[in-house]
Amino acid sequence: MTRPGAETEVNGATAVSLEDVRKTYQLGEPVHALDGVDLEIPRGSYTAIMGPSGSGKSTLMNLVGCLDTPTEGAVVVDGSNVATLSDRERTTLRGSTVGFVFQTFNLMPRLTALENVALPQLFQGVGRDERRERARDLLERVGLGDRIDHVPNELSGGQRQRVALARALVNDPALVLADEPTGNLDTGTEAEVLDLFGEFHDAGTTLVVVTHERHVAERAERIIHLLDGKIERIEELGSAGEPDEPADGGREER
Amino acid sequence: MNLLESLRLSWRSIRGHKLRSALTTLGIVIGIAAVIAFVTLGASLQAGIVGDISPDDQRNIYGWAADPDTEGGPLAGAQPVVSGDDLESIEGLEAVDAAYGYAPIQSQAVSSGDEQVAQGDGVIATGPSYVREDTLREGRQFEPGEREAVLNPAAAGQFEENVSVGDEITITILGGQQATAEVVGITDSNEGLSPFEGFEASPRIYVPTDPYYVEQAGAAGLGDEGPGGTGGSEDVGDGAGEDAAEADDADQAAQAQADGGDARFIAVVVEAPSADEDDVDAAREAAVDYLESDDSDASEFLGEELAMTFQTSAELLQQLEDVLDLLQNFIVGIAAISLLVGSIGIANIMLVSVTERTREIGIMKAVGAQNRDVLGLFLAEAVILGVVGAVLGTALGLAAGYLGAWYIDLPLVYPLEYVALAIAVGVLVGILSGLYPAWRAARTDPIDALRYE
Ligand SMILES: Nc1ncnc2c1ncn2[C@@H]1O[C@H](COP(=O)(O)OP(=O)(O)OP(=O)(O)O)[C@@H](O)[C@H]1O
Ligand SMILES: [Mg+2]
Repeated sequence: MTRPGAETEVNGATAVSLEDVRKTYQLGEPVHALDGVDLEIPRGSYTAIMGPSGSGKSTLMNLVGCLDTPTEGAVVVDGSNVATLSDRERTTLRGSTVGFVFQTFNLMPRLTALENVALPQLFQGVGRDERRERARDLLERVGLGDRIDHVPNELSGGQRQRVALARALVNDPALVLADEPTGNLDTGTEAEVLDLFGEFHDAGTTLVVVTHERHVAERAERIIHLLDGKIERIEELGSAGEPDEPADGGREER
Repeated sequence: MNLLESLRLSWRSIRGHKLRSALTTLGIVIGIAAVIAFVTLGASLQAGIVGDISPDDQRNIYGWAADPDTEGGPLAGAQPVVSGDDLESIEGLEAVDAAYGYAPIQSQAVSSGDEQVAQGDGVIATGPSYVREDTLREGRQFEPGEREAVLNPAAAGQFEENVSVGDEITITILGGQQATAEVVGITDSNEGLSPFEGFEASPRIYVPTDPYYVEQAGAAGLGDEGPGGTGGSEDVGDGAGEDAAEADDADQAAQAQADGGDARFIAVVVEAPSADEDDVDAAREAAVDYLESDDSDASEFLGEELAMTFQTSAELLQQLEDVLDLLQNFIVGIAAISLLVGSIGIANIMLVSVTERTREIGIMKAVGAQNRDVLGLFLAEAVILGVVGAVLGTALGLAAGYLGAWYIDLPLVYPLEYVALAIAVGVLVGILSGLYPAWRAARTDPIDALRYE
């Protein structure tokens, strides 16, 4: 499992480290969603993950986000080996250090934008007034100051995604994970969301973004290419936020 | 997450499904309402009845002769067997303070001055101490042998000009004879004074057995005949009649009218020296012993077919209360079933709700909700449903109980401990029915839940 000294090693520079991580689903024949992944994600870095459908991107994100545990290997987030944590400790770690942005928004349908953004802090035991104050600030930051009392149904796709973003940030997470955050957005809104990611990155947040879009991935500092549950290659892009010349022609094969 | 936050969030989701939630609580509402309504009614009924037994009444023993197999309340199947002489002898017993007869007079109307009102029952011939002094609002008890009457306020008030002490009334007896009486007292309550009358409020006139009942009994041929003799002719002369006839021979009728010695009473009241249980039992025993001995007139009729029953008000009411308790247990049983059905309803809806909201549960867990937070949310929802049902049921039950008590004119007693109990039951039902669904929700795997469509 964890290599001796792993915990001390990740301190400082490393936010997340994966060592020979395997995730196997037993469905008659075993499905290896992840098949031996070694990866270090430095603190404050901006990482994109690409790969064809079924290559294990979401599985990887769930492991990094402490939602899931690996079948084999060690996932160390913020100095703690996720597999050795109890369910409760894992939830606490997730609540305090990870912010999720899902492709499908995953907002609570009956709660208003403000309440959705305030929800994670509810489970952290933050007081109501403070919660609402913070949620309002964040919604204003993502440009939804005039939509705080709308429920998700009354918001456009882009607005919903921005609410989801605000929610991901509400606990000041060290790590923000976004699984295809721009999949449903038009180019204009997509650019807005990506600009926001840029801002988080500049503010020192560690970012991991899964995407099928080359130009989205190119906003990151490096691109990790997954194939059949393995890291195919890692592409270093230099400074984040400035789209480079497309390396292999725009959109990657799905 | 604290309790208040859980309740607030749960309340939101309940309000999100108003109709569904309302229907879900219906079982609880009906169950609790049934219990509260009947408990309120029962408590009011008991207060109404028990409140009527004054301490002075506690030393009275009410007796009548009936077939031992007869079921029913006071006077059920009663036959006139105890004679005036018997009563005198009983009164002479050491363990007994007083003994007097009780007989409803079959009247038709009562008039005061020029005004006549119909009155078919409620004219009662009895002993003077039957109307206890502490129940008199005005005047005094009537004297035996005098043409005097005590009225209750309803009887006094049925005339245009209220009858008061000193006035004269005329009672028209079935058959047309008329008897006058001077009003000497007015009681303070319209309710019956003993279990013989029943406790409902109605106009009542109390007169001495002598002369009123004795006259009527003489006219009806009750003086020398026992059970079944009321309609029979004097020529039949059954064995029972002969003994009496021997004793009093020719001017029997005249004598009966004079002192009532031969008039047979359908019911008797025996007064013990005190309300002490031993005294009451001693008086009862002495009276029964005497009546069953050959010395008494009543003994001619008593036997297999006819036996004396002597009971105090409390004992008579006990029977009523036993029936009431039985009824109440029955209702509580039905209510328990209704509550069970209600709980199953809540559990069912909660399970549906957990499935429906799988994705929401996944979202909450993904953003840091602990298992206990999710458990608390769903449990809070079930408890709210249970408590809302209990509160509505209690309100409905109290209203129904109040209406019922008002309708049958009872003093209203709110069984407050049952209200507290009902709310507790609501909480309990909520917890019990919500526990499993909430546990299912809590242990939902967030990844599976987020994948759930
Ligand atoms: N709960 C599960 N049970 C069985 N197999 C699973 C489960 N979750 C994922 N898999 C399998 O693991 C593999 C990787 O899935 P994953 O969701 O990580 O793919 P992905 O790269 O995110 O694909 P996409 O781009 O389509 O989202 C797939 O082959 C999938 O069938
Ligand atoms: Mg995926």
